[in-house]
Amino acid sequence: MGENKRIFMLGIIVSIIFVIAGCMWLSYSAETLDEIAKHFGASESSVWTPPLPDYEIPGLEGNLAVNTVVGIVFTLLTLAVALVVGKVLKAKT
Amino acid sequence: MRQVHIPDGFLDLSICAVAYLAALIFWVFAFRRARQVLSERQIPLMGTLTAMFFAAQMMNYPIIGGTTAHLLGGPILAITLGPYAGLISMTIILLIQALFFGDGAITTFGANVWNMGIIGVFIPYIICLLVMKMVKDKNGMLIGAFIGALIGDLLAAVFAGLELGLSTLTFPYSISIAVTAMAIHHFFIGIGEGIITVIIISVLLKTRPDLLQLPKVAPKWMGELPIVSAKPGGP
Repeated sequence: MGENKRIFMLGIIVSIIFVIAGCMWLSYSAETLDEIAKHFGASESSVWTPPLPDYEIPGLEGNLAVNTVVGIVFTLLTLAVALVVGKVLKAKT
Repeated sequence: MRQVHIPDGFLDLSICAVAYLAALIFWVFAFRRARQVLSERQIPLMGTLTAMFFAAQMMNYPIIGGTTAHLLGGPILAITLGPYAGLISMTIILLIQALFFGDGAITTFGANVWNMGIIGVFIPYIICLLVMKMVKDKNGMLIGAFIGALIGDLLAAVFAGLELGLSTLTFPYSISIAVTAMAIHHFFIGIGEGIITVIIISVLLKTRPDLLQLPKVAPKWMGELPIVSAKPGGP
């Protein structure tokens, strides 16, 4: 259990560092596929409107603190989902 | 923030359907095999790594031509969790990105899982195993991790290019144009992924070699593989 706690704590700390670095210094995005699509004139036509497009809350775009909180909350949500899936996998063994 | 996350509208629906079918076959296989090989003590690691790579994909670093890239994480997921749980982890990341952030999409979800969750996880895994068969010390895992990450990223991009090139209704450019454009950029992205993967694997080799599961979940046809340890007195 102690080992699990250490893995959790280290993982959460590193993840939060990633989120903060991603929001503060490494948020500029000019991804390859976007650039290639722009070059070829292809355009996106969404069939689903995401609640937080481009990792930002509509109306609060560019707010560093809000974006960081969103990143941390969804990192923790991802952790929870993966743990539940892992538990379900083992429960059926 | 998409690297090879294909959005809605870029692929023909027939390509989307084929990709969903291919992904479905791998999901069924991965869930069945993960149940057999995933140990109780790996579940916290699976949760932690899934969250870490979700967060890592938010960090963009500059590459050539004014574009940016981010870590995908497939090679590390494969080496630590095995490819079956690695695919499940990547599927969770892609699903959350598509549903909540519009990074990737619903119609192209199967294609994105195929590119990043199957090609991006299984190819580095197979290459790493093959290199470890040839170089039977800890360098084997590091060399295999680098080559696997590089080729895994490159092939994920090539498949994305193929899917785009085959989508003649929505993306009116030939396969050769789409594949070439994706492959050139992703060769450099793959080098970045390879370097970061080697750094992380080196740290794990020194601190927690027991977490490197790759040899332990290798298929029987691969034969005996070295269980790598950098710890004094380790296996």
